[in-house]
Amino acid sequence: MVGLSEYLIVGAALFSLGVIGLFLNRKNVITILMCIELMLLAVNINLVAFSHFLNDLSGQIFVFFVLTVAACEVAVGLAILVSFYRMRGSIEVEDINTLQG
Amino acid sequence: MANVTFPFPFPDHLIVLLPEMIVAVLAMALLLVDLFISRENKVWTAYLAIISIVIAAFATLQLSSGETVHAFYGFFVFDPFSAYCKLLIYVATAVAMVISIDYMKDEENIGEYYVLMLFAMLGMMLMVSATNFIIMYLGMELMALSVYVLVAYQREVLRANEAALKYFILGSLSSAMLLYGITFLYGVTGSFDFVEVGNALAASDSNARSAVLLGLVFLLAGLGFKISLAPFHMWTPDAYEGAPTPITAFMSVAPKVAGFAIIIRVMVDALPAVQVEYTAILTGMAILTMAVGNLAAIAQRNIKRMLAYSTVGHVGFVILGVIAGNADGYAGILVYLSIYLVMTMGVFAIIIMMRREGIQGELLDDFAGLSKVRPGYALAMAIFMFSLGGIPFLAGFWAKYAVFIAAVEAGHLYLVLYALLFSAVGAFYYIRVVKYIYFDPERVAFNLVESRAMQTTVVVMALAVVALGIYPDPLMDLCKQALAGLV
Repeated sequence: MVGLSEYLIVGAALFSLGVIGLFLNRKNVITILMCIELMLLAVNINLVAFSHFLNDLSGQIFVFFVLTVAACEVAVGLAILVSFYRMRGSIEVEDINTLQG
Repeated sequence: MANVTFPFPFPDHLIVLLPEMIVAVLAMALLLVDLFISRENKVWTAYLAIISIVIAAFATLQLSSGETVHAFYGFFVFDPFSAYCKLLIYVATAVAMVISIDYMKDEENIGEYYVLMLFAMLGMMLMVSATNFIIMYLGMELMALSVYVLVAYQREVLRANEAALKYFILGSLSSAMLLYGITFLYGVTGSFDFVEVGNALAASDSNARSAVLLGLVFLLAGLGFKISLAPFHMWTPDAYEGAPTPITAFMSVAPKVAGFAIIIRVMVDALPAVQVEYTAILTGMAILTMAVGNLAAIAQRNIKRMLAYSTVGHVGFVILGVIAGNADGYAGILVYLSIYLVMTMGVFAIIIMMRREGIQGELLDDFAGLSKVRPGYALAMAIFMFSLGGIPFLAGFWAKYAVFIAAVEAGHLYLVLYALLFSAVGAFYYIRVVKYIYFDPERVAFNLVESRAMQTTVVVMALAVVALGIYPDPLMDLCKQALAGLV
């Protein structure tokens, strides 16, 4: 029988993968967007698992909001990325270096 | 049709959402109306946006009766605290729009700029009235997404794009952390409602302790990011430097008001059971924030970047009010934010006017010798800088006084002494700006582009700083009254 803690472990693993990917990634901004998405999905797994084991629907309702907002967030993020690419001609993480100090 | 019955009781008290409804509807209407405004008359979009804010402010004032009214089954609250915070946000947004008119007039597609500011304001209004993590998150994201776009508004400027990209990545990271924290609080308490979470936490046994602490840490990380508490402040200097200057002014005031409002509400309603723990975490963050903000500001040559670090430093002072955890502390936060609004808007108005003949006017050197050419602006800038530095008998002094006294009352004497030390460090780099203005020779010719709107903003803000410095009591009383329903 799969219990609550198994779900939480999967959620924690996904979330950690997202954070680690975000900080270790030196290559491409698209990967960063994917890592952020991974973190939000970990949040959703947590919410659904808690919601199921608490017998409370509000967690699953929150999941819909999180999914929707995540979609908006990626849309805005990609728009900014495209605009950045037009100016800089690259989306390498190392090339995001004009502002420093 | 007459016999429509709802399968559930129809939410009453919806009238308290009137300001939000006004802003949402007028912002969307303005998006359409803007299409019919010709390029030469784009300034009307700004005027219409400001008129929308005035209508919303009028509605808020009409609704505020000093009572606490819940709406949407307790998802939303209208109380004196949220009304006061909303008024601060209205003023910040409206002034940011006024100082945008000149700065942005050469941009293409300027219409959406003001609409996005209205949407960001709507997000903040929802945040300060949220009594539920869902509404809090939605308001926060509405604000954040609008502000990301505003930072990148000058699409042909590389540093604006880069600033927005960095801000977006770190902002998304922070909202994911915030959500992850909320899931654990939900798992322990079975609710997203602040008060129910608070009750359940008070009743929860020690088995759930570690999950609560995990949730608390992630929640504080997410909230700390929004108000740029160290170590989550890294986005602040980049975003402030890259953004259009009026947006920098907007970002340094309005989201901070909303962020502190939601922090106060979460701490008071949802987390009193873990007050010892969150006070400890926030104390650590406050110590780091004051040091990082005030020390890093000394090294900056760009005044927007310097003010970004100065904001970080100020946030370190303001958070003392939350650490104090008493009514005086929360009132002190409102006093601080109100006064900070006045000072910051004035400073940024002057910085915007320094943009001239192909230079951005953002370097400290660009201010050298201002007093010989424009003694009026030099005096105003000196007033703002002395006030930001907390020199007695200007408004900034009373802001710090209100927060520090509350923290001392709560028994955090050493923390306040530490804050005073960094307040003195802060005074150094503010006074350095005054030195550039009064004692250095002119380096770049001052062919300033002045308009009546900018001059009025500077004069009003400078007079307000002096007036509040001489007679701060009405503001302090107002802030104390605003807390009536909360604590």
